[in-house]
Amino acid sequence: MDIGQDIIAATTDVFSTMLGMDLVVGEVVDGAGGEVESNITAMLGLGGDIRGMLAVHCPAAVAMAITSGFLGMDVEELDEDVKDAIGEIANMVAGNLKIAFAGHDLKIELAIPTSIVGQSYRVGGMLGARRAAVPFAMEQGQFLVELKYIVNS
Amino acid sequence: MGNNVLLVDDSSTMRKIVGRSLRQAGIEFDNIYEAADGLQALEMLEKETVDLVLSDINMPNMDGISFLREKANRPNMKNIPVFMISTETGDDIIGEAKSLGAVGAIKKPFTPDMVNAVLGPFLK
Repeated sequence: MDIGQDIIAATTDVFSTMLGMDLVVGEVVDGAGGEVESNITAMLGLGGDIRGMLAVHCPAAVAMAITSGFLGMDVEELDEDVKDAIGEIANMVAGNLKIAFAGHDLKIELAIPTSIVGQSYRVGGMLGARRAAVPFAMEQGQFLVELKYIVNS
Repeated sequence: MGNNVLLVDDSSTMRKIVGRSLRQAGIEFDNIYEAADGLQALEMLEKETVDLVLSDINMPNMDGISFLREKANRPNMKNIPVFMISTETGDDIIGEAKSLGAVGAIKKPFTPDMVNAVLGPFLK
């Protein structure tokens, strides 16, 4: 199982299908590092055979561009629509990961996404969790999709 | 005369996207109603005439499966067709939805063409 590649496939599928957008894929980070400056983070919990948290970290310009693409209108502030849109990105990426993990006989359940907005915040880790993260680039900047996870034995 | 459709999703963004996809699919609508969860959807079905429901599964307050179960117990709405539109595509949960009356499912992410292919035959 290659979680980094699963994240890439899950994320690029969401963007190409929902937004008609081809992302530039960065290097997979296995472990610490690779952080992207972000102003909004959408998080979603996973349970079952793999437990952990999927997070999508975006700078404001990227988050507003994604939301604008979803809604077909200009978006100029990090409002509820943006929080909702980035939450849906996390939800759909996690849904694709759920299907990928099922292919490895790993069954997971998904929680409902939550989004936070701020200038300076840090999302804490899970004790004993592994981490895989992938930066993606679009015209407005980079964003990061990160999975902190524990495979239950 | 067009169709009356109810979109049930806790994401207002997703409700807008689905509504836009329906219009882009070339299907005519008189009304597109919205609900943020199963409870709101039941209230909407009690007061409006709806030809088709598109419902997410993972929602707060009342999820899509509980909504189907409750709807099946109400004679005035039990025959309104429901399509699930969700990231949940496992045979177990979709099978449960179909056993409770759902007539099909659309996986998120989706394109307007995918929506049209699935829903077209069910709409006027």
